[in-house]
Parts: sequence; structure tokens; C-alpha cells
Amino acid sequence: MKNKKKKTELQLPQILNLDDDFSLIKRFIEGDESTFNLLVVRHKEKVRNIIYLTLNNHELVDDIAQEVFLTVYKNLGRFRFESQFTTWLYRITINKCKDHLRKIKIRSIFTSIKDEEEDFGYSTSPDEKDVAEIVRKAIDQLPEKLKIPLLLKDIEGLSYQEIAESIQCEIGTVKSRIFRAREGLRNILKPYEKELM
Amino acid sequence: MKIYTKKYELLSAYVDDELSDTEIRKLEDELRFSKDLQEKLDDLKRVKKLTSKSVKSVPENHYFDTRVSAAIRNDGPWLFRIRKYIPVVGIVALSIALMVVLKVNPGIINSLLERQKSNISEFYTQNLKPLLYAADLTNEDIFNFAFYHQLPLDNQKSQYLLLGTGQNGSQFCEIKSNYKFNNTNNLDKFVKGLNLNAIQKQQVDSILSNYAIDLQSQVLVNEKNTVAINSNIWNYNKALIADLVSFAARANKEEMRNVLPAGFDSYYNNGSVARLVNEVRSENGNKYIFITPDTIFSDSFNFDKEKFSQDMKKLNEEMKKMNKSGENFSFNFHMDSNFVNKTKIPSYNGQFKIYVDSNSCLIHLPQVFVPQIQIPNLDSMSANIGKAADLFRSFSFNFPEMSKGKNFNYKYFYSDSGKGYNFNFRVFGLDSTFNFKNHKMDSMFGKNFRRFNFNSPDSLKGFYKSFFGDSTAFNQREIEKELQQVQRQLELFQKQMDKLQKQFPKNEKHLKSSKSVEI
Repeated sequence: MKNKKKKTELQLPQILNLDDDFSLIKRFIEGDESTFNLLVVRHKEKVRNIIYLTLNNHELVDDIAQEVFLTVYKNLGRFRFESQFTTWLYRITINKCKDHLRKIKIRSIFTSIKDEEEDFGYSTSPDEKDVAEIVRKAIDQLPEKLKIPLLLKDIEGLSYQEIAESIQCEIGTVKSRIFRAREGLRNILKPYEKELM
Repeated sequence: MKIYTKKYELLSAYVDDELSDTEIRKLEDELRFSKDLQEKLDDLKRVKKLTSKSVKSVPENHYFDTRVSAAIRNDGPWLFRIRKYIPVVGIVALSIALMVVLKVNPGIINSLLERQKSNISEFYTQNLKPLLYAADLTNEDIFNFAFYHQLPLDNQKSQYLLLGTGQNGSQFCEIKSNYKFNNTNNLDKFVKGLNLNAIQKQQVDSILSNYAIDLQSQVLVNEKNTVAINSNIWNYNKALIADLVSFAARANKEEMRNVLPAGFDSYYNNGSVARLVNEVRSENGNKYIFITPDTIFSDSFNFDKEKFSQDMKKLNEEMKKMNKSGENFSFNFHMDSNFVNKTKIPSYNGQFKIYVDSNSCLIHLPQVFVPQIQIPNLDSMSANIGKAADLFRSFSFNFPEMSKGKNFNYKYFYSDSGKGYNFNFRVFGLDSTFNFKNHKMDSMFGKNFRRFNFNSPDSLKGFYKSFFGDSTAFNQREIEKELQQVQRQLELFQKQMDKLQKQFPKNEKHLKSSKSVEI
């Protein structure tokens, strides 16, 4: 009977939980740097997706994700275990994305008006047929502060609490921003109502 | 409007399942009675559905964690980061250290090089033996060395040491492998060409044998493939030519002109061969060029000919006792392939210009390397100088015979030595007193004669004159005349030397072209 129980325990899949992240971080702080790689493997896809959703540019994903994990590596020793590791990780990710968007904004000051027009030309394109593409481009037209909470909720499935911690604001603000994002999206997509039906 | 917005926000949160149970119950109650709220809820649900389906996840990157690890290694903690700069930092630190060391002790590099040189030198100079021992040189080989400037390095005579003089007067030597020397029996041709009799033939052999002994210490070899060439060997070559040409001139001057090429005139026109040979042999030739398989260098080396002869004698005796014949070690010079590759184009090794390929190693020496011993023409002068020297040797005072009773005695002894002079003029045969050898007279000239009221032998002459009138045979005029003659001869000698100095390279060039002339 005892043997059977042991077997059952051994056969159980390893389920990741919050403690897993914390224990890995503790081991890292104690000097076992190999645990950092486990954290990377565990969270890389989520981080990469957030970046992709935020910037809508898959070419930048790995570069910015790398920056995110380098920042985590450098600061992990100061992690205070007061919030989930993922919340902290997503906050860093969102901040990196914001930094990048800020840089792009500064650069865009020096780019020609023609280029800018070309960038936003899709919004009036009557031949746009692909629903997903239409919606994606509509989301891109939303301001960053509305777009990010919407995507974190609808795509990544984060809770309002997690989103609030990630973007460092109140839950009420998150709630409001997500609603406004949906409203904005509905208005943008009005001309394509037939295609979207 | 604000109230509606708040309601709609609650609806949005309701869609996201983010309301508390109380909020849900309250909102659901309102929804039952408000068509507007129901429509808004449908709108929000539709938008959420569109959003959720609009974005696909980014493709997975399996190498991302590896990339992050690499980035961490390159951008890790400062100690981690500095690791990649360690080689550069190391080089800079070494350079600074080297600069400091050189500043404090500038001679360190030279001393290191000297030590290295001395190590190399020590390695390659061990167990050097005369070439004669290795290659069994015959009189024919020595004869060919004189007129063809070459010596075989091995018994098979496949490797040769060639000596020569370049157009600019500088010497060169070359070790050639797979070299065939086709001019054979040259010594025999020389003997027959001059119609030498048996005694003269013996004399030629004797000259060659003597030089063979001398050449022992001029070319040394060892089992480490080293060939050591004494810088004086070029002068030995000149002396040997001069000796043989001089002999030929004495033996058969007419036939000699047919046997020897014109280029050798400078050797037999002067008769000072003995003087040249003596000068060559007295040259302290301990400067050697060491040609080794992987380097070429020059260094001082003292070959103890006597010790070597004794060792060989001892060895032969022991071999005889053991009924074994002495075995010569075989010498087979070859250059290291790396060294050959390194010096495919002419290279300067400190002082030598070296050309090396698989079959030969040619070394051009700087002009100053070989001691310059010229061929002087002292014949016309030697007689006069000899005569003048004879006069000095016979220089004497002659005193007239003095009558008995006339006597005076001078005595002088030095306080700081046992030497002294005692002139007792009472004794007849004063000639013997003054008929000293030169060196005694010299010592007398340097002394202070003030105590005797005369300052020098000249005043001594005056002193005697007062006693003996003009009868003294102190032939000053004759001495002055002879001295003037010596002076003139010395000036002439100087001019001839200068002239020879200028002519000698031309003669050497002649000598080089004589290779093609059959003896």
C-alpha cells in the first residue's frame, strides 16, 4: 500500500505554483545562478507575448524580452517577495515596452509627415478583408494607456489586480481604461460592421 | 452621462468576470429591466470576442533562453564583464611593466639576448672537430681549396664549403649539397705542368700538408650539423696561393705562366710570401661563423688544437689495443626546413646576409668581418731596412789608444737598483766597454748624465773631443744619413701600402674569375 502511494506521488506531474518562482529566486539569491535559466524558460513566452501585443512588432520581441530578463537578472537579488514574481516581471516588461514606444515617439518627431501618413494609411483602406487584421490594426489605433490593459486582459487573461500592479495604477483605473478601450474599439470598427458580422 | 459610464464600466468588468458577488447580483437585477444595458452588454461581449480572436501568440523561440544566458555572460556583474577585457588589460599591464623594467634596467634585453646567444653558442660549439678529421682531406683537396676556394665537408664529397669574394670586396661562404666538382687531378696537372722533379713534388706536398694542419682549426664540424668557419680562412687561402705561386715561380718561372692564370700575378710579383704567411698565422683567429641547421651566428671560440691531437692520439692507441680501427664520424649537413622556409628571401641575421634553399646556404659577410691582411711588396725595402738595422747594431764609440798614466775613472750607481755604470779609462780596449748591444746603448741614452757634466752622448762626444781631439770615430754624419734613408724608405713603404689597399679588391675580382681557368 505504501509502495503504491509512493508510486502515485512519483507519477504526479510537477505543477508550477507561486512557491516555485519564490524558491527558485531564493536559490538564485543564495548563489545558484542556474535557477535563473529555469525562470526564463518558465516565463519567456508570456513576456514575449506581452511585448508582441504591446508593440505589434515581432522583430523587436526577442530584443526587448532579452532586455527584460537582463533587468530581472540584475535586480533579482533585491526582490522582496511582497508580490508575485510575475507581477514584477510584467511590470518590467510593460515598462520596457513603454520605453521603446517613447523612443519611437521621439524618433517620429524627426521623420517626415509622408512616412507618418503611410504608417496610418491602413485605417481607411476599403479593401481590408481579414477580420483579425482589421481588429488588430484598430487596437493599434488605441492610446497606449488603453491598449495595454485591454490586451493584458483579453489576450493574456491577467486579472485587474495583476494589470493594476503591472502598469502601476489603481484597479478602478484599469476597469475604466479597459471599458474605454472597448468603446474606442467599437467606434473604430463601426465602418467594418458588415465584415465583422 | 457619468452614471451611465459607471454602469457601462461595471458591465465591462462583468464581461471580464471581475465583479464581486454582490456587484454581480445588483447588476444582473438592473439588466433584467434595462434594454439599453442589455444592448451595451452584447456590444461589450462582441468586442471582447473580437479582441480575443484578433491576436495570435508570437511564435515560440526555443533558443531564447540560450540567448539570454549569453547576454547575461556578456552583460553580467562587473567582474563577469571585465573578464572579456582581461587579455587586453593583461597586455597593457605587461607593456607598462616592461617599460618600467627597461627604464630601470635598460641593459636587460641585451643581457637576455646575450644569455640566449650564449646558450645557443654553447649548444652548437660542443664537441667541434676539425674538418680534416671528418672529411679526410687530401693534398688535392687542399690544392683545390687554394685555387678553387672549396673544401669538401664529407668523405663522399657531396657537400662542399665554398669561399669567395664578392664584387664589393666582401667575403662570402656557401655550403652546397649535391655539388659535383668536375675538375679533378689538379695537383697532378700542376706538378706535370711545371715539370717538377721528385724533390720539388715533395716540397709541394709539404706545403699542402702544412696548410692542411693549419686548416684543421679553420673549419670545424660536429655531429650537431654545425660548421664553424674561422674568419681568417680567407687569409689562409691567400697565403696558400702565395706560397704555391711563389714556389712555382722559383721552380719554373717560364712554365708557371702557362700553368697559372694572369690573375695570380699579384701573388708572385712580390716575394714577401713568408712575411704574409707569418702575418696570417699570427692573426688571433678565434672569431668563427657558426652555420647550424636552424641559425647562423658568429662568436669567439678557442679550439685547442693540441688537446684535440692528444685526445685523438689517445683514442687511436686505445682502439689499437682493442684491435678496432678508429671510425671517423660521418658529417652530413642539412638545414632545418623551417629555417629554409623562413629565409627563402635574402635575410639579414644581425651581420650576415643569408640566402638559403634546400641545397645551399650562402652567407655574405660584412667587410669588416675578415681580418684584412694585404699582400705587401717589401722586397725593395727589406734590404735597406736590414742594412740600416745592421748599422745600428754595429754602432759604437771608438777611442784612441791612450798613453799609460793618463787615467780617470767615472763611477755611478743608481740608488734604487743594483745597476750602475763604471767608466774606467785606465783600462785599454775601451771599445769593448762601449761596443754594447743596442739595448744597452738605449738604456744609456735615457739616463741623466748631468752628474758627469754632460747631458747626452753628444755632449759626451764633446767631452772626449776635449781630451782626444777629433780622433774619435763617432761618425754622426753617417748615422744621420742612414736615418734619413730609413725615413725615406718608410714613407715609400707607406705609399705602397696605400696603393695595395686600393688595388687589392681588383686583384681579388681577378682571382674569382680564375675559377674557369684550367690548371
